[in-house]
Amino acid sequence: MSRSDPFARNAAECERRAPGNARRRASFNWSAIAASSLGLVCVALLLLTAARASAQAGPPEGHEDDAFDVMNVLTQNGLHNIRDESWNAYGQFTYISSWKLPLHSPYQSVNSLLPGAERSFTGSFTLYFGARLWHGGEAYFVPEVISERALSGLHGLGGAIQNFELQKTGSSTPQLYRARTYFRQTIGFGGDSVEKTSDPMQLGTVVDSHRLVLAVGNFTILDFFDKNSVTSDPRQTFFNMAFMTHASWDFPSDARGYSWGAVAELYWDDWAVRVGRITPPRNPNELQIDFRIWKFYGDQLELEHDHVLLGQRGAVRLLGFQNRVDSARFDDAIAAFTADSGKNAAACEINGRYNYGSTNTTAPDLCWARKPNAKRGVGINVEQYVADEVGVFVRGMYADGNTEVDAFNSADRSLSFGALAKGARWHRPFDVAGVGSGTSWISAAHARYLAMGGVDGFIGDGQLRAGPESVVEAFYSLNLLKAIWLSADYQHIWNPGFNKDRGPVDIFGARVHAEF
Amino acid sequence: MRNSSPSSRLFFAGVVLAVVSLAHTAAAQSAAQGFALERLYLSAPGGGWFVMDDLSMHGGLGGALSLTTGYSRKPLRVGTGSERLAVVSDQLFTDFGFAATVDRFRLYLNFDAPISTKGRSGTVNGYDFAAPSLTLSNSPDSFADARIGTDVRVLGEADSPFRLGVGAQLLFPTGKRFDYDSDGTYRAMGRALVAGDVGSFSYAGQLGAHVRPLNESPAPASPRGSELLFGAAGGLKFPFSDSAGTVIVAGPEVFGETAFNSFFGSRSTGVEGLLTARMEAISDRGALLRLKLGAGGGIDPHFGAPEWRLVCAIELSDQFVHVQEH
Repeated sequence: MSRSDPFARNAAECERRAPGNARRRASFNWSAIAASSLGLVCVALLLLTAARASAQAGPPEGHEDDAFDVMNVLTQNGLHNIRDESWNAYGQFTYISSWKLPLHSPYQSVNSLLPGAERSFTGSFTLYFGARLWHGGEAYFVPEVISERALSGLHGLGGAIQNFELQKTGSSTPQLYRARTYFRQTIGFGGDSVEKTSDPMQLGTVVDSHRLVLAVGNFTILDFFDKNSVTSDPRQTFFNMAFMTHASWDFPSDARGYSWGAVAELYWDDWAVRVGRITPPRNPNELQIDFRIWKFYGDQLELEHDHVLLGQRGAVRLLGFQNRVDSARFDDAIAAFTADSGKNAAACEINGRYNYGSTNTTAPDLCWARKPNAKRGVGINVEQYVADEVGVFVRGMYADGNTEVDAFNSADRSLSFGALAKGARWHRPFDVAGVGSGTSWISAAHARYLAMGGVDGFIGDGQLRAGPESVVEAFYSLNLLKAIWLSADYQHIWNPGFNKDRGPVDIFGARVHAEF
Repeated sequence: MRNSSPSSRLFFAGVVLAVVSLAHTAAAQSAAQGFALERLYLSAPGGGWFVMDDLSMHGGLGGALSLTTGYSRKPLRVGTGSERLAVVSDQLFTDFGFAATVDRFRLYLNFDAPISTKGRSGTVNGYDFAAPSLTLSNSPDSFADARIGTDVRVLGEADSPFRLGVGAQLLFPTGKRFDYDSDGTYRAMGRALVAGDVGSFSYAGQLGAHVRPLNESPAPASPRGSELLFGAAGGLKFPFSDSAGTVIVAGPEVFGETAFNSFFGSRSTGVEGLLTARMEAISDRGALLRLKLGAGGGIDPHFGAPEWRLVCAIELSDQFVHVQEH
């Protein structure tokens, strides 16, 4: 399971125009997109009308100028220049508890969501250090501690895992690890001046609107790709992983969600294009990394355009990916089992093949079909503010679904949308409220494999009546002292594990999040 | 209570003795578990030397960053003669350090990230030693024991001929014993520190205690519990260029430790020496940049003192000046 950049914000959100250098925004006919987003706008309007229309605050953000944190305190005491930083340091703490109610379960297998009531938790503590090495050169180092207990051993949910912080290797014993260590070089090509505000993994500075940004090292690809300023920091917003990024974007990473590699970003006023190559795990969903990046890799390409629609800012991002990793095609696993029933799940371990613990002698298994394979997908990510403090978003992705999950989750296609509002409208400017819906599907080959009793990294009930796995989520985050957020959350999930025979399931959540 | 005869008591004592003896034999044949092998207990970020500390904290609120990387060859050799076994033959690490200073006080964090730790497995004196097999590929994000520490200069000014300070460190068991980068328990250190600058000569020294609960006696080349820490360093300053404030400081550092319960015993004492050189440059805005290089090895090679070692570091120290003053 992957985890997010805890302060993920898109470029538009992290940037301010330097005084006197307001950038011209492209403004053209977005009526087609607006029409297709009508439903989302209606949700947003509902939020608007429910609130008193009196505030001027900006959209939900991870770090505010008047937030109570170390860098702001130093700045306010004249000890730090937050707009031209040579270093910065931030931190966060997040504790999430989830309570799952019993669900309908006529049958189950090793990868099923358990039918009884369960509680899950995660606790994470992160420090963010950044330093300027020379003009345009920055280094970042992020150690993190996590403790967790997943629902049903992190099995039974495909694209709608209830807590985005969960990792595949987590345990209740706190684990300290190096989350990120990377270097970034910005090369300016002129244009307007753009102020980058001080943030975790971003030194406060001024850059050119025409610039090339190169990053090399250890990071999560979500630090650079598929950002969305509306969903923003998942530690303040939605709990469910379906809203963190495309559920069907199987970006290569280790079992915690981090990768090694390089990313190049070219910014040209309202446009940005990104390319990146990152390392995959040695075996699907494991912590060990395969550093043969010339042989096994994940390539990403993203095109972004920022716009203004009816006076409100928004952005559209198109993302394509291709993974070349050692993985199994579902059809190959089925064919191997059909041709020789000895190539079943139970025989994997006996033959020293990596599998997910199934001992089903009558089911196919991916272990018999692993070889270098490619997985491809394309997606779109749209964010749009519909008022000064209310934004809507929609993400959709289609992946080929021929091969198993390598690093993220089991979904092969996904769609999510929702709306968030910041609380200035009801005189609580740091509060955040949101509603959203996410749905994901699996491919026909994936469904056939699961129906035969096969399991992948996360799901497999022994049988399957295939259907989309959907979640609806609503949350409210209450801010205290400009640094602490208390959140309450409700999620309703249909067809857990893409199985119409099981569920639905209700999950209640609570979160304490602090930034400093 | 029921009375027992002398013969039955003798029999009972014999049984207990036999059980204890068997248990001891079983233990002697058990596998060595691994421990925190690294003995290069780095000074705090901004500390100047590799292990000693120059106690030069000064001014108002300030900070320091350090990036240290090092390689040691055969830091754990067990047995003698034909039984000689390099359980850890190669150890490569990178350490990230962060410090905040106020006047004469310092608070710091260190994260030691092992990059590669390898060796040979084998049996010595009835103990099975499993060599670590840590690489960046199979442990892409691991840390050895993380450290938080504080130092304070109690006597002297930042550049005076004699400075006296004290320091304390707490090490968290964030590493893994089988990787030979943790004891699996919390550890602590307390040190008395001296340093000074007399003309072009700089010196530093330390005497302290390493509170180490792990005592794996009689397993060969293993920790024997808490230790005395000692060390000294001295070097000459040379101007590096015409630019003001850029100097090179070159000289040796010698440091070591001995277990309290086998004080300066031959199998419980390690001493290591490093020849060090560092270039110190001060930027226009007052930041101090240090590039450090050290090479050396075990003088009295107990565990952790390698055959030879290379270590280098980059260190940046700065004061948080009032923005309005710029």
